[in-house]
Amino acid sequence: MNIAHKLAITALGTIMATAALADFPMDKDITFVIPYKPGGGFDTIVRTFEPALEAALGGASVVPENIDGASGNRGGQTVFRADPDGYTIGIYNVPGVTISKVTNRDIGYDLDQVTWIANLAEDRYAVAVKSDSSITSLAELCALGRPIKLSDTGLDSTSSIASVIGFKIMDCPVSLITGYGGSNDTMIAVMRGEVDATLKPIGSLSKYVESGDLRIIATLSDEEILAGVPTTTELGFPDLAKFTINRVIGAPPGVPADIVVKLAEALRNAQGDENVKSWAKKAKTDLTFKDAAQTAEMMNNLSEFYANYKEMLVTK
Amino acid sequence: MGIEALFAAIIELFSHNGSLYLLAGVLLGLCFGVIPGLGGTTALALLIPVTYNMSALDAMYLSGGVMGATAFGGSITAILLNTPGTAPNAATTFDGYPLAKQGKAGLAIGASAAASAMGGVIGLFTLLLFIPFAKQVVLSFGPSEFFLLTVLGLAAIAVSVRGKLLRGLIAGCLGLMFAFVGSDSITGTLRFTLDTDYLWDGIPLVPTLTGMFAIAQMIELSLKGGAVVNDDTALSQKISGVGEGILSVFKHWPVLLRGSVIGTIIGAIPGLGGTVASFLAYSSTAQTDRDPDSFGKGNIKGVIAPEAANNAKDGGSLIPTVAFGIPGSAETALFLAILVLHGLDPGPTILMYHEKEIYGLIVALTASAIGASLIGIALSRFLVLITRIDVSIIVPVVICISLTGVYVLDGRMFDVLLTMFMGILGYLMIRFDYPRLTLVIALVLAPTAETSLHQIQMISDNNALGFMLGRPVSIVLIAAIILTFLMPYSRKYFTKSNQAKAS
Repeated sequence: MNIAHKLAITALGTIMATAALADFPMDKDITFVIPYKPGGGFDTIVRTFEPALEAALGGASVVPENIDGASGNRGGQTVFRADPDGYTIGIYNVPGVTISKVTNRDIGYDLDQVTWIANLAEDRYAVAVKSDSSITSLAELCALGRPIKLSDTGLDSTSSIASVIGFKIMDCPVSLITGYGGSNDTMIAVMRGEVDATLKPIGSLSKYVESGDLRIIATLSDEEILAGVPTTTELGFPDLAKFTINRVIGAPPGVPADIVVKLAEALRNAQGDENVKSWAKKAKTDLTFKDAAQTAEMMNNLSEFYANYKEMLVTK
Repeated sequence: MGIEALFAAIIELFSHNGSLYLLAGVLLGLCFGVIPGLGGTTALALLIPVTYNMSALDAMYLSGGVMGATAFGGSITAILLNTPGTAPNAATTFDGYPLAKQGKAGLAIGASAAASAMGGVIGLFTLLLFIPFAKQVVLSFGPSEFFLLTVLGLAAIAVSVRGKLLRGLIAGCLGLMFAFVGSDSITGTLRFTLDTDYLWDGIPLVPTLTGMFAIAQMIELSLKGGAVVNDDTALSQKISGVGEGILSVFKHWPVLLRGSVIGTIIGAIPGLGGTVASFLAYSSTAQTDRDPDSFGKGNIKGVIAPEAANNAKDGGSLIPTVAFGIPGSAETALFLAILVLHGLDPGPTILMYHEKEIYGLIVALTASAIGASLIGIALSRFLVLITRIDVSIIVPVVICISLTGVYVLDGRMFDVLLTMFMGILGYLMIRFDYPRLTLVIALVLAPTAETSLHQIQMISDNNALGFMLGRPVSIVLIAAIILTFLMPYSRKYFTKSNQAKAS
């Protein structure tokens, strides 16, 4: 084979490759993997974004697919093993996966190799008590004279990790009552009175606050989110505002940079959609957009933040 | 408010396309019910994307149709082939299949149809009665009550296997051991996962059940050969008997009522579901009957009780939903997911903001339970013929369909392998006469039992018994557990004293 032939083949290959790239995202359906069952928080945000994302990609087809199992790891593994062509993306349980990484728990893939695309939203935590409880502040809650009982789903859930570390920072002993079926059940446990309080995303708590069953005594944030409710930063614990729930989108390792940019741009544009905005307002979710580089940086920062508490995470 | 909303929902159903969606749901539900391995949850999960472009109310009619019809659909396979079409129909096989073998499949199907329809109606009326107090009901059931209910279920297992107590206990313990596989729900510790993340979430119920019943029964049938009904005398009987079956439900109305009440209560407890409800209904009916030994040999009451419970549980599972917007069963969880997809936000205010959808679902469920039964009765003449087909045709068809069903559920090949494994185990259990349902019920109850006991320990600072005795509902449940254990003895005593009187 002479050089001219080789050159011709290389050139042809390049042209074909570019042609294929130029066609993204019109070649086939984009699979959007949700690592949990239909109906949860991750599922809801993906399905809310889906129509807007399709529009922002110029009419491409985006198909949400629920691949649950192994505490959300099966979905992550599926994305990791897919072709890095941009046609498979997924939503990640952050900081859940970060904590697995810090504690060296095997999640079946290397989190550091995931191509991060964007951060769609950020939820904040708050502490709630029963609406007719005599407790009105975190200080009163901590002054019960015994470890406070907090309800949660499992010890490895992100809200229970935030509870353990957060209350440790406030020097306030807690006893986590885990094993509740879902975050709604943990809030009902507070209403039944078997636990003192629960730490949960504001979006989940607010439904029960509205119905008059629960009362929020503090939000884990720098700025006031709910009128008249103090923030942990105001109370003198600025580190607590670092506990957030992020809705992060990623793809298999090695997705070409131009496709990452296309996807990130489309996701940014989808945030401007009216339906997405009104959903976010109702769910009290903060639509904080971070592009690929910012998301990767955030993921690193989170690893470092949780690494500080590694011992507490391992000995839990 | 309740009654007006109910009537509005009924009128709404017939005013436009609603009834069409309902009918589609019923037919789909019947099919998914009949096929082993597929059930209401699979049907609803597959339907979620389909409902995307419908109005929320039409989506309710469709999903209500599916939910109401699967239970009866599953009883058809249970009666004709000794293979429960869905998990809760397992208890129906005990007396339904012996009836089919005696050539009385029409009677059993008629009874199952009427019991399903009536059970569904009773369950939903109980729900309507409870709606005003739904919050109090849900708040009075905490970990302590959940734990005692599972103990009650395990106690019912222990006394239900009369004459085979040791075998029953061995099967039950095997079920408990299977239930310990996977991550501990309290501590997150991984147990017996054999280094495969497939087992992180434990041994899944549907593959286990499909293997234990469908595959095992197919192995059994294929080894035997022939058809389900071989007996010449049975063959010569007339095929129908459906009318008689329908009437039997009204004749045994206390059995119907008991099954419906048990179904409604168990339905309201998240995590227990139809399998436990119909089993408890069956065992309590058999236990308190004058002639407990006639059960398992083709007693029609053994079909009525579990089928009534199975449909009544849908009403019960909506109690936590109307109170707090939380699901009482896997089906209601998917129903809430459908609401979320339609931009409705289920929560404690669900009945205030989404009254129309909730009552729409209630009406759809009732209409579906009745509609499915009518369709079933109309088709029963033809369905019964299945028992006369040679098994060499039935076995490959059922095995293919049920393994595909198991695969469709989550798309995992491991599920298929597990189904095969459980099929062989189930066949060995038939062969050596170990009760299979005992294993399955233990598998269902164990996670709730384990988690809630652990929770009570933590909540009560290791004073679990004192904590339980401080709660009124718990005390009632403790009394029920003691009564369950005393039941066999008291019956012995009464039979003796009756005999003494007679002589």
